[in-house]
Amino acid sequence: MKIAVCVKQVPDSETRINLAAPTAELDSSGFTRILNPYDAYAVEEAVKIKEAGSDVEITAITIGPDTVKETLKKDCLAVGCDKALVITDPALDHADAAAIATVLSAALKKEPYDLVLCGFKAIDDDNGQVPILIAEKLGMAHVSTITSLELGEGTLTAHREIEGGKEIVQASMPAVLTCQKGLNEPRLPSLPNIMKAGMKPMETVTCADLGVEVPANLVQIKQYSPPPARGECKLIDAEDPAAAARELARLLNEEAKVI
Amino acid sequence: MPNLAVFIEQRDGALKKVAWQMISEARRIADAAGGEVWGVFLGPDAGEATTEAAKYGADKVFAATGDSFAGYNSQTWATALANFCRAHNPDALLVGSTALGKDMGPLVAAKLECACISDAVGLKFDGGLEVRRPVFAGKCFTDVTPTTPVSVVGIRPNAFVMEEKAGAGAAESFDAGIDGVDQKATVQSVESAGGGQIELTEAEVIVSGGRGIKGPENYELIEKLADAMGAAAGASRAVVDAGWVDYSHQVGQTGKTVGPNLYVACGISGAIQHLAGMSSSKCIVAINKDANAPIFKVADYGVVADLFDIVPVLTDEVGKIRG
Repeated sequence: MKIAVCVKQVPDSETRINLAAPTAELDSSGFTRILNPYDAYAVEEAVKIKEAGSDVEITAITIGPDTVKETLKKDCLAVGCDKALVITDPALDHADAAAIATVLSAALKKEPYDLVLCGFKAIDDDNGQVPILIAEKLGMAHVSTITSLELGEGTLTAHREIEGGKEIVQASMPAVLTCQKGLNEPRLPSLPNIMKAGMKPMETVTCADLGVEVPANLVQIKQYSPPPARGECKLIDAEDPAAAARELARLLNEEAKVI
Repeated sequence: MPNLAVFIEQRDGALKKVAWQMISEARRIADAAGGEVWGVFLGPDAGEATTEAAKYGADKVFAATGDSFAGYNSQTWATALANFCRAHNPDALLVGSTALGKDMGPLVAAKLECACISDAVGLKFDGGLEVRRPVFAGKCFTDVTPTTPVSVVGIRPNAFVMEEKAGAGAAESFDAGIDGVDQKATVQSVESAGGGQIELTEAEVIVSGGRGIKGPENYELIEKLADAMGAAAGASRAVVDAGWVDYSHQVGQTGKTVGPNLYVACGISGAIQHLAGMSSSKCIVAINKDANAPIFKVADYGVVADLFDIVPVLTDEVGKIRG
């Protein structure tokens, strides 16, 4: 069985974005970058499948500059992926979800993958679109935001998070699955495995190598702006906590009118 | 003159409120810029959806009915909505950012090869559609424009104010064109988590607990206050990672991004990734022992005190007020 895991390098969730005024482009040069946390669940699930069965090969695929290789090595190859494919092309610098999906689909067509695992969204642009667009382009089934997975013969059963519960979904393979927290506990890479990961194959290609042209963006970004400023905090005297609690209830009811 | 189509979601016949929020906003845009507001419904019976949509200002409600739309199927439902767009050419199809909407919206866009915009919180029409949405879980916002004649736009629940304004609500049907659709994935069953819990992303009020609750046994305090307020119960990542509370309660950049009318943070210091997920809430209350906790920087009301001294009394008081 062949599994592809599509991953993305994103700014750490501790990153502060200090915009003073609207700007056409976000300067992300100083950001610390990590593997998208939801992609870690996708990687872990692929590795668990490999450990449970025989003859499973996992390819980690990403789009990005040279700096993504460190993430691929440490968070994908060192925890059990077999090889990596990096698509590096300046034409992708400002690509939108549809363009990214087109290029990843071209890469995924190179081998007959049975499963494509992805995080359910990236924590930078928060789109959650690319895996579903890929599934449609490749004619595969998709199940999104899964929290459990069981593989059968040519089919799979996944639990999918919905409001106040879950759906139990059965899908045919090949399929694209997007992973949510709760699916598994991603392992950490060991130092020896990080060293060994350097020996695993990592191929770098351009869009031309994949025989795909980057399509024009369907969504254009006009500007980035800071979140609306918040007012002063009204501090309630808490010398007598019970009185403070009563005063808080009164303010929420009479002043803020939210209860 | 934009014609805006709004998807009216039903689950087991229950209609999602986000539809009326979207119709209200579409009505405001249409009143200013011209154009029509359309409801689009998939389900066994369109009666209630049509009446309700009219209340909030829908000019027409298009429905495809039948057993195929009793329960959600991604390929069947997305095909039907794509066919609706092909037949009626709305400028945008607005879809609530619910579990169903986030699954189906991109698939509709893929079928139409059109622009797809996720999780929007603002819409403007000035010759063309302009959409505002948070990125980095709300650490900043982007204004984006679709370049295709039709676009699919996901709308976050509670982003828009629901406002009754009578519309014609003319009932029309449309041809879903779903014969022979390869379903590929099917929902076998739906399991409820039980307890009639309110979903975080749809809640108008949220009460969240952080490390200040000291242990899993004390999360009950948070749940009781949430109950008294008619609120959903949330949690910080620290509490979820410690295994005290299920991850489905997590608010933040790696959990749910929320924007309720009221957010009550109890014993939450306000890590940057938590603030990102909740700072668009309309009113924020912080209860924390540490006066220097970052949560007070985004709060409207603050109490510097131990949550164990405040929350039980607050629960009683709120109970009295709400009767």
